[in-house]
Amino acid sequence: MRNGLIFSAAAVTAMFALVPATRGQDASHAGSVPDISGVWLVEKFEPRLFPNGGAPLQPWAEMKFKATNPQTDDPNLGCLPLGVPRFMISVPYPMEIFQVPTRVIILHEGPQVMRQIYMNRQHPKDLDPTYSGDSIGKWEGDTLVVDTIGFNDKTWLDGDGLPHSEAMHLVERIRRVDHDTLADDLTIEDPMAYTKPITVQQVYKLKPGWEIQEYVCEENNKYNYQGK
Amino acid sequence: MRNRLAVFPVTAVLLLLSLAASTYAHHGFVSWFDMSRSVTVKGTVTSFDWTNPHAYIYLDVKDDKGAIVKWSAELGAIAMLTRAGWKRDTLKPGDELTMTGNPAKDGKPVMHLDKIVLANGQELATAL
Repeated sequence: MRNGLIFSAAAVTAMFALVPATRGQDASHAGSVPDISGVWLVEKFEPRLFPNGGAPLQPWAEMKFKATNPQTDDPNLGCLPLGVPRFMISVPYPMEIFQVPTRVIILHEGPQVMRQIYMNRQHPKDLDPTYSGDSIGKWEGDTLVVDTIGFNDKTWLDGDGLPHSEAMHLVERIRRVDHDTLADDLTIEDPMAYTKPITVQQVYKLKPGWEIQEYVCEENNKYNYQGK
Repeated sequence: MRNRLAVFPVTAVLLLLSLAASTYAHHGFVSWFDMSRSVTVKGTVTSFDWTNPHAYIYLDVKDDKGAIVKWSAELGAIAMLTRAGWKRDTLKPGDELTMTGNPAKDGKPVMHLDKIVLANGQELATAL
């Protein structure tokens, strides 16, 4: 993961050098597409998708969920990636969005990961499952529509431990509501684990002047991750 | 005047509760700490860990009988703390302070920090 981050930072730097005009924190358009670049922080932090319960779980998923103890079982306690969509929804640390013609890149401070949304291709066939899946995007007016598949089943949807399967399909509609506000409307479809799609909106606020900083999950982590 | 005085503590408690509810962070706070309760202790700093993924304050607190209770408080990540005005040398052993936060559910003298008040009256809140 650390090597991946170093690589990621180098890749982002290289792309900046090639396309300097795409960097900015204002509402002006980068080329012909909306500008959603900048450093963003969740407006409200809520680690649970269903704080009052009621997730539409399939029977096996409900059994797995009930057997989960967030104090000891959260993969993130052991510094494994939060994965998508969790790091888009419930992380109280900022993310920076970069735009280049072929990609939208999200560099996240909290988990120190990079998410790439490919704007110029379809999903590859026979995807190897990963924590963040494979994301492709297209612009529909002012909205970036992102389609993600190819997830592994090692991540939780939220801090309570809601599970998912490798069949999860995520659709996001990301839109700059106003200069200082970005909204991501997420639809999580996973018929293996849930009886109906889960929809959630996360709102982010622009943080002018902020820079993504170092964050080292492994440094002084006092949580006793027991894993399962 | 009396009414105002009577109302103030209630407002303060509600404010504390609302602050408490806004300060969960990534490492399982919801499951480890009682976010509906707030506790305040005063004591002497023995150590300040300026580390990720969380910073920590260790505080010697005298109980009613004069015995030392060793409290600790968990803070946010240092990047967020820096943005909130904290520095690596904000605290040093021997500093007196009051700290307020959400107590551990298991009753141990551990809290998820909301804020500190230094001896000179300066307040610092933990970030998210």
